[in-house]
Amino acid sequence: MNPPAPRKVALLANCLLNQNAKVCEGARYRGIVSPVVEALLARGYVLQQLPCPELAFAGARRWWAVYEQYDTPAYRAHCRRLALAIAPLIERFLRDGDEVILVGLDGSPSTGVRFTSSEPTWGGRPNRPADDWAIVPRRGIWIEELEAELQRRGLPPVPATGWALDMGRFDEAGARRDLEEFLDAPGSVGSGDP
Amino acid sequence: MTGDARGWRIALLPDALVNPRHARGDALPNVVSALEANGYGLLQLPPAGGHALLLAVIADQIAEYAHHGYAVVAIGLRGEPGEGLHWRRLAPLLRHRGVAPPPRHVMRPGADPLTEHSRLTEFLTGHDLPPEERQRWRS
Repeated sequence: MNPPAPRKVALLANCLLNQNAKVCEGARYRGIVSPVVEALLARGYVLQQLPCPELAFAGARRWWAVYEQYDTPAYRAHCRRLALAIAPLIERFLRDGDEVILVGLDGSPSTGVRFTSSEPTWGGRPNRPADDWAIVPRRGIWIEELEAELQRRGLPPVPATGWALDMGRFDEAGARRDLEEFLDAPGSVGSGDP
Repeated sequence: MTGDARGWRIALLPDALVNPRHARGDALPNVVSALEANGYGLLQLPPAGGHALLLAVIADQIAEYAHHGYAVVAIGLRGEPGEGLHWRRLAPLLRHRGVAPPPRHVMRPGADPLTEHSRLTEFLTGHDLPPEERQRWRS
């Protein structure tokens, strides 16, 4: 009997299927981010949702935060627990020869792939003016810990990109073009390295 | 919440309904599209077998939603083990976190797809928190 044909699998940031996971004032859709799902399904991808690291750690009513505020041993340990929970599914995809990609959330302190949010001085009473954080080319903490867990298992790097939802001003048409370019890149879907 | 579009409703969905072409869903309506049209987000449940830690992680998320003004429902698939909802393991995890099992709706492969779509839409539109709870959390 022939082995099953390899599948195309997209690992999705939790909030791309559930905007209720977003920090207050961060949801741009009611629930599902349909442009992302449509682009993936049109190309034959199977969807695999990742857990949301911030929701179960800091809660549904958490404050906004930047990379530096989440860069703590306790939060990284929490992310490693989540990585241990989801890694067996990802490992099975990869061992089966499936083509696996990751779509994170650019600008997020946790789920950013190409970009995360940064402001080393944030802290204390949350009275910062709007838009006073920086976007820097770096993974978010959850993605760093997830990739580290996959590496510990001897798995190859997963090509990755981010839906640019948390980059300050959201441009859906631009984000869609960006995602489709990544998905349609000839041969490979690109490294996604920041 | 100013400028926030969240729908405050979430459906637990078996992997077999998130990715129906790889299960038995060909004759079923597209549940993901129905959720999107009705303003629901989804939490994807893993396929059958194992996944104890992942189910605990998902239960943590459900509890956080249930305790903060979100409406949570579950949509199962007849013919899948446990209707794809891992109920025997998920229910005690939720109980342990002080959460009642969410209302369930079961999709029936082989039934008339139009009827199934109507049943699903009726279920999705008909469920939310009482008005006073919505006022408390969502204004």
